[in-house]
Amino acid sequence: MTQLAVGTPGFRNRPALRRRRAKSAVLVGLLIAAVVVAVGVLAWVLVYVAIQGVGALNLGFLTQTPPGNPAAAGGGFYNGIVGSLIIVGIAALIGIPLGIGAAIYLVEYGRGRLADTIRFFNDVLIGVPTIVTGAFIYAIWVTRFGFSGFAGSLALAIVMLPLVTRTTEEMLRLVPNELREGSLALGATRSQTVMRVCIPTALPGIITGAMLAVARAMGETAPLLLTALGNDLFTEYNPAKRMSTLSLQIFDNAVTGFQEGQGRAWAGALTLIAIVLIFTFVARFFGRRVRTSNA
Amino acid sequence: MIVKIEARLNRDRPVWRRAAGVRAALTLMIGGTVLAACGSTSPATSAPSATPTPVCTGTTANPGYSNGLATVSGQATTLSGAGSTFVAPMMSVWTKAYATANSVQVAYQSVGSGAGIAQLQANTVDFGDSDAFMKDSDIAKAKGPVVQIPLVQAPVVVAYNLPGVASGLKLDGDTIGKIFSGGITVWNDPAIKALNPAITLPSTPVAVAHRSDGSGTTAIFTDFMTQTSPAWVTALGGSTTSVGKTVAWPVGIGGKGNEGVSAVISQTPGGIGYIELDYAIAQHQTYADVKNKAGNFVEPCEQTAANATVGITSYPSDLRVDIVNQSSNAQAYPITGLTWALVYQNQTKAATAAALVNFFSWVLTKGQDLTGSVNYTPLGPTLQALCIAQLKKITVNGTPVSP
Repeated sequence: MTQLAVGTPGFRNRPALRRRRAKSAVLVGLLIAAVVVAVGVLAWVLVYVAIQGVGALNLGFLTQTPPGNPAAAGGGFYNGIVGSLIIVGIAALIGIPLGIGAAIYLVEYGRGRLADTIRFFNDVLIGVPTIVTGAFIYAIWVTRFGFSGFAGSLALAIVMLPLVTRTTEEMLRLVPNELREGSLALGATRSQTVMRVCIPTALPGIITGAMLAVARAMGETAPLLLTALGNDLFTEYNPAKRMSTLSLQIFDNAVTGFQEGQGRAWAGALTLIAIVLIFTFVARFFGRRVRTSNA
Repeated sequence: MIVKIEARLNRDRPVWRRAAGVRAALTLMIGGTVLAACGSTSPATSAPSATPTPVCTGTTANPGYSNGLATVSGQATTLSGAGSTFVAPMMSVWTKAYATANSVQVAYQSVGSGAGIAQLQANTVDFGDSDAFMKDSDIAKAKGPVVQIPLVQAPVVVAYNLPGVASGLKLDGDTIGKIFSGGITVWNDPAIKALNPAITLPSTPVAVAHRSDGSGTTAIFTDFMTQTSPAWVTALGGSTTSVGKTVAWPVGIGGKGNEGVSAVISQTPGGIGYIELDYAIAQHQTYADVKNKAGNFVEPCEQTAANATVGITSYPSDLRVDIVNQSSNAQAYPITGLTWALVYQNQTKAATAAALVNFFSWVLTKGQDLTGSVNYTPLGPTLQALCIAQLKKITVNGTPVSP
């Protein structure tokens, strides 16, 4: 570029360069368009849900349960909010430690065919439609113990597990081998190296991955239809009983055909998006904080 | 002939005078149609003109039943139920009111009658609910004998989406059968025109909406068409395959649940489908007056649905009774059905059994007074008393729950 200053005579006449510049401009334009569409759709969804939902959203919506008559106005999704937090909370307690454990094995210990097989099945598990996960838990758990919040947690744990495993695995692979070698050279055992060196280094990424898995589970409806089933009208704190979640209540109220129910569904959707956004922001915040304190 | 006179009377009179016109026509009919209908089916007929039946105006009195069973102590604080979408709005009102009064939370999920029966068979719920009673073949797949308790009755309306045409399009069984079997494809078909000479019908194509899931509403509706429409029976290949929770629909679009079908109707100009009354009212949908056994075109509502069991004096001991198009009452809406709670006769957990008996005893007494708020119809006194008796059949490991 230094030899070809813009003012050089003949610069603009070089057909090859012009073609390349034109091609570059077109491609950059396409990329910008893709970004605009992607961000635009997201903004559109957020704004649309906000406009539809804000009408029925108020403090009562967050503290009350729905009215008995589905055609009556008012009421809220308190039971669904509580149910979502409890069911996803238990799912996280099961899914995150298992996922992290599996990833540690794969990266730090796993060798050969066994590790490859586990990795392969983990990838398969990511692709399994979540309704199938729900059907699986229905078959092995619900048919024996009935519908319950805990059955929903089991299904969501299976949804979260491969996501956590995958992100943790990626993060641990980013830990430079020199750190492990240094630790081992100083006389640390393998487990000490993993616990004191690898995990702290990868922690921001691991937390972000776990939070994103939680956010994903928060929005899942399909695996809950066949496991937690729902408890549209009542607040239930005992996970051994049937529970509602925000996603189930949005689904049930959206399809009723009663306008007031659909209004509640929109407000529920807005609440769910807000909760998921909070989780994502918390994940980002933690990710950044741990990274800076580590540096 | 009589029917035509009556129809003309109705058309020329303002709405509030129609009841009188119907009554006038009725007095002419007593000797003919009504008595002729008596011999064909088991239910006996009462004399309809003795007490003129109110039509769809005002509200009906609450039955105020007080024959509930004594509360059984030691009940569970939660119950789990699932099934019929037909009864879902009613069940929602009941469970909420019951929780307020008795601190027992009954979770009910509107999954469809077919799914309700399936979940009872799988024993994943404490009770199921279906608008078609369980047949012997259904019970054989369950984990024991099942007590079936009618809870409420309600009309299935034929709702349509015809801009410019108000509620009250007149349809008879055979015309409905032809529409739902694909024999009638446009709204200005001569058969519909003949029944509605005063209405200008558009040439919009008929878009049939039906249930895609196993449905008691479908069972009620196909039962009516099987009884009244030879065209429907022929199209479906005989009277055994033309009725049931699922049938092989020759035409139309499927929707899941009453919710799904009413959505399809709302979204499709020219659409027609069958849904429970409350769904149609809540969505401001228009629906047809349907010709009943007495030959009258009757608007579906609380009162005309109540008339559907007028004249039925004897019920089988297991209460597996078909009330669709049975009453010869002049103002009976013919496509009226019952919904049954499904409970295992022999319960294994005493607390659950007590909670079930207490809840259904409440539904059959105080609960019957709440039906009007969601446009359902309370059970008549004869049937209600039998339902209470049915509850006494429930046992815990062989011992009756309610002595």
